[in-house]
Amino acid sequence: MTIRFSVNGRDEAVDVDGAMPLLWILRDLLGMTGTKFGCGVGVCGACTVLEGDRAVRACQVTAAEAQGKRFTTIEGLSSDGTHPCQRAWLEEDVSQCGYCQAGMIMNACALLRRTPKPSDADIDAALRDSVCRCGTYVRIRRAVHTAAKLGGTK
Amino acid sequence: MTTRREFLKVSLLAGSALAIGFRFDEADADDGKVFQPNAWVRIAADGTVTIVVGKSEMGQGVRTSLPMILAEELEADWTKVRLEQASPGPQYRSLGTGGSFSVQSQWKPLRQAGATARELLLTAAAARLGVERASLRAERGFVVSDVLQQRIPYGELVAAAAALPVPENVPLKNASEFRIIGKATRRLDGHDIVTGRARYGIDVRVPRMRYATVVRPPVLGGSVKSFDATRAKKIAGVRAVVQVSTGVAVIADHTWAALKGREALDVVFDAGPNAEFSSALHAQRMREAAAQPGFTTRKDGSISSPVVKRIESTYQYPFYAHAPVETMNTVADVRGDRCELWSPTQAPQDVRKNVATLLGIPQDNVTVHVTLIGGGFGRRLGWDYAVEAAEVSKAAGGGPVQVLWSRADDMKHGYFQAASLHQMSAGFDADGKLVSWSHKKVSSPHNARSKPTAEQMQDPTFFRDISWGVYDVPYDIPFIETAYLPVATPVPIGPWRAVFSPSSTFARESFLDELAHAAGLDPIEFRLAHLGGAEKLTAGDVTIDRPRLRRVLETLRAKSDWGKPLPKGSGRGMACNVYDGDTHVAYSAEVTVREGKIRVDRVVCVFDCGVVVNPAGIEAQVEGGVIWSLSSALKSELTFRNGGAEQSSYRDFEVLRIDEAPKIEVHLIPSHGDTPFGAGEPPVPPMVPALVNAIHAATGKRVRKLPIRAEDLA
Ligand code: FES
Ligand code: FES
Repeated sequence: MTIRFSVNGRDEAVDVDGAMPLLWILRDLLGMTGTKFGCGVGVCGACTVLEGDRAVRACQVTAAEAQGKRFTTIEGLSSDGTHPCQRAWLEEDVSQCGYCQAGMIMNACALLRRTPKPSDADIDAALRDSVCRCGTYVRIRRAVHTAAKLGGTK
Repeated sequence: MTTRREFLKVSLLAGSALAIGFRFDEADADDGKVFQPNAWVRIAADGTVTIVVGKSEMGQGVRTSLPMILAEELEADWTKVRLEQASPGPQYRSLGTGGSFSVQSQWKPLRQAGATARELLLTAAAARLGVERASLRAERGFVVSDVLQQRIPYGELVAAAAALPVPENVPLKNASEFRIIGKATRRLDGHDIVTGRARYGIDVRVPRMRYATVVRPPVLGGSVKSFDATRAKKIAGVRAVVQVSTGVAVIADHTWAALKGREALDVVFDAGPNAEFSSALHAQRMREAAAQPGFTTRKDGSISSPVVKRIESTYQYPFYAHAPVETMNTVADVRGDRCELWSPTQAPQDVRKNVATLLGIPQDNVTVHVTLIGGGFGRRLGWDYAVEAAEVSKAAGGGPVQVLWSRADDMKHGYFQAASLHQMSAGFDADGKLVSWSHKKVSSPHNARSKPTAEQMQDPTFFRDISWGVYDVPYDIPFIETAYLPVATPVPIGPWRAVFSPSSTFARESFLDELAHAAGLDPIEFRLAHLGGAEKLTAGDVTIDRPRLRRVLETLRAKSDWGKPLPKGSGRGMACNVYDGDTHVAYSAEVTVREGKIRVDRVVCVFDCGVVVNPAGIEAQVEGGVIWSLSSALKSELTFRNGGAEQSSYRDFEVLRIDEAPKIEVHLIPSHGDTPFGAGEPPVPPMVPALVNAIHAATGKRVRKLPIRAEDLA
């Protein structure tokens, strides 16, 4: 079936099986590799993108469900790293291997749109479903606070 | 031109770049008659500086720390220094990243290369300006003449510099002159990561590339008996189904089709000899083996006075997977008698060698591009997944294929941290003095990347060298005896973060806490009392610098609120370790235990890794090491049943999440000695025993088995 949706403000149309996850549409068909595969079964958060203002797991969104929706991926925050979350992540030097961080940042964006001044508990609740095997959690917490100060609701 | 002593090579590259070749592994420098550099520093006419080395970035920050070291001596503008990953070839032998040695092994050669380049540039500038070399100085990418009030950018001098004879014995800076080394520095490639531009192995896209996954036998050592691809081939996008030595590969237009094709594939497996294997069976074998004496790995001193009180404990440690978030993958493109690979690997030259062997082609026909790595932790020292990709490409008739492991593949078919059992025994004399110590480790040597030889399996030295944390017990005790007992296992075993040390240190430092309690002494006091004098201790080929360990312990006591009471249900514990004789680490942990639930509130780490190149990077490594260790103590465990691993994702191989991360404070001991040591692995081993000792302080319960489960605290 033909699926139409928008990614980072651009309209896309792909002809795929309705069960194909958005993750593979983005990565393998549209060549947008910023959204990562970590498990494919919804338990790591590496594939998190925004649907409107909401964080969703691209590996759990089927093509049929994506129909007509608006998505933002890490590439869509800003290409020059000026989005408040990106700046905060650089400022706090969060990344180790960096592989999980696109998912972390997208989750943080969704949180800040809902809760512009989050507490540690808000951050923990919003990010507890995301895995960082390098163990950057304490810096992620700091970076979300920094992003809030930089006006992360964008 | 090459120096007489032949440790540097200078040449002019096309496009007028000055290139200084050197070796980063001094130990290898004499292995050939002709000096062969395996790393280069390139200064281009536009002033950019590139270090070309075979070091993989996997989160440990070498892309930042190595440029810092070079820029220091070169007096370069360090933000213009980049690290380029060398592809293995005749020029770059001995590539590899493991054992936390990157910064350590690069330290001196990089500084020498930087200082030599700076000297050449200064000499070239002196000739051009017609002044004395001594009247010039180098500063942030320029040669400066204060007399003439002139500044010449390095780039303008490279051609002239390359024609000069190579100066010898260029002096290196004193530590007091450092302006880059020792300064907290953010990593250089953070920008690519936060914009989604960073390319990991999984992100490699080459023209005409197809996507594949491999169905593997569920039982360790099993094989494919037969398969029927009729249903799989009906899936839209599936192009081919081929058998390879690891299983059956489904090749498709995109990953999703490959995954669906794999589900539709009917494969009959032959279970092979291990269908009955389980972790319970393995634990039983370890218990039985523990009755044997094993190989003695150290026997020092004698029991000075009769033992009147003996304390004995047994500690148990499970199997673990690495579970990096980026699963194993590689793009391989076999074309005739050549092969090109793009792989997130820590061991490109092993990939090259093994792919060449597999395909029966010369190594020179194999090119390996090393990509960014989404978490290594030792797993990517293996070449299995890269060789498998080459096999799939070949079986499919050639052309580029990306073989991606599913999360379950990654969990079940890696190589693993070995399970172990530790028998501890100690004796006190009539005065309450600790007079004897014995530690027997029952475990399995690495067998995945290569198997120990028959000779090694009879050699106590071999077992000593795989017993870090056992034979190098850093305490001064009149009689010390350590032993190793190997147990065969069908489970593939290989390096994991901190290799052999975590299980041994867990047992040693937890048991030491038991002894401190038995002696009625504070655990820090007890350790300090057993550090002897200022003399160094030699254990095997490891030297323990006791005064350094003493300083780390004293600093921990000062920084951790040691001795300050905590509320009921909470407790504080500590542990320490000297990692492979180099990095000295001590932790305290504060925990609260309620209804069997453990909450780690605060961790304080004191860390002495010699010269501190990038304090920010080291702190990050400690934070990561703490989280890694807490995952192993509180959450994850890999178990086997019916011959296969039972876990398949982070749902059943759980890891710590952000809401469980404690407050972490890191205190770096200021620069000691003149060498930096590793920081990626050393934070791991003593963290778990510090936690276990804190749990004891909070609850009175002694944990002797990992991971810690609620029922163990009931
Ligand atoms: S890849 Fe989607 S949650 Fe792990
Ligand atoms: S930074 Fe490596 S997994 Fe998070």
